Amino acid sequence: MNITIIQIILTVCIALIAVYMYMRLRSGLFDVILIGLFFAAGTFFVLFPETTNDIAHYVGVSKGANLFLYSAILFLFFLILKLYSRLRRVEEKFTELVRSKSLEEAEEIFKGTPSEQEED
Amino acid sequence: MIIPCYNEAKVIRNTVTEVLEKGYTVVIVDDCSKDNSKKKLRGLPVYYLRHRVNMGQGAALQTGIDFAKRKGAKYFVTFDADGQHDINDIPGMVEYLEKENADIVFGSRFLPGAKTNVSRSRSFALNMGRYINYLVSGIMLSDSFNGLRLFSKQTADKIRITENRMAHPVEFLMLTAAKKLKHVEYPVSIHYSDYSKAKGLKNRDGIKILFEMFLYKIFR
Repeated sequence: MNITIIQIILTVCIALIAVYMYMRLRSGLFDVILIGLFFAAGTFFVLFPETTNDIAHYVGVSKGANLFLYSAILFLFFLILKLYSRLRRVEEKFTELVRSKSLEEAEEIFKGTPSEQEED
Repeated sequence: MIIPCYNEAKVIRNTVTEVLEKGYTVVIVDDCSKDNSKKKLRGLPVYYLRHRVNMGQGAALQTGIDFAKRKGAKYFVTFDADGQHDINDIPGMVEYLEKENADIVFGSRFLPGAKTNVSRSRSFALNMGRYINYLVSGIMLSDSFNGLRLFSKQTADKIRITENRMAHPVEFLMLTAAKKLKHVEYPVSIHYSDYSKAKGLKNRDGIKILFEMFLYKIFR
């Protein structure tokens, strides 16, 4: 079996991501299994790209790489939407925080101390 | 009377003084101005609220509405700080609201009787805007991006602006439609000074507003 450069690069990247995820998540058996599966599947498809073609043909796509691209775009789009809605929720909460603070601190300027009322 | 302001030190005192002369209660919501807007207000009998972080005009309005509710206001007016509105329009708006038994009055610079020096390109942009607003909210106004509005306590209890930035005029419309509020329009004067032109929305901001509206629709 000939191993191309891109296969080496991708395998290394997948391995690094797996290590990084392991370090970040660390905990439970479940995480380790999940990361292990991710690593195994990723490496497998990189080293034997022909196998993805079979799956692609099965669902009606000409090449495995194309199928992968389509699903990646869908997945990323979904991820962006999720992130956006998360961002909006965070912003809403943040707004409430700032708002309640400013309501608490509301001042009546004309009741300020005389020194504050000097004209500049 | 709720006046959101952001870096309006040059004009805020003029605007506020005019409003105070007519005897209205003024709530200033300073959206974290970087200039000395607050100093300019010294000695004026106004309520002053400040956002610790810049949140946008929509957020400032809602803060002001919350505060006015606490103070037991009967009528709520949103008023731009840059001096483009005419305080003399308010009594007519109140009268009209009561006469029509409406929940909210939108100011309009395009109704007969309104005095305005709006430029042609701005007119065009606003016209586009009102059709788009109609599409998203189902309410057709003659001027849907006018900062001058008047509404009752009951309305203030029903609406809640969550569009922090520039899309809040559209949200007013969407809420008006969603809460089935009775709305009317009233001709108001708009005076564009060089200052308010430089400070206010640009025509190109329309694109941003469109985008924010799109997100609003998705994530509602």
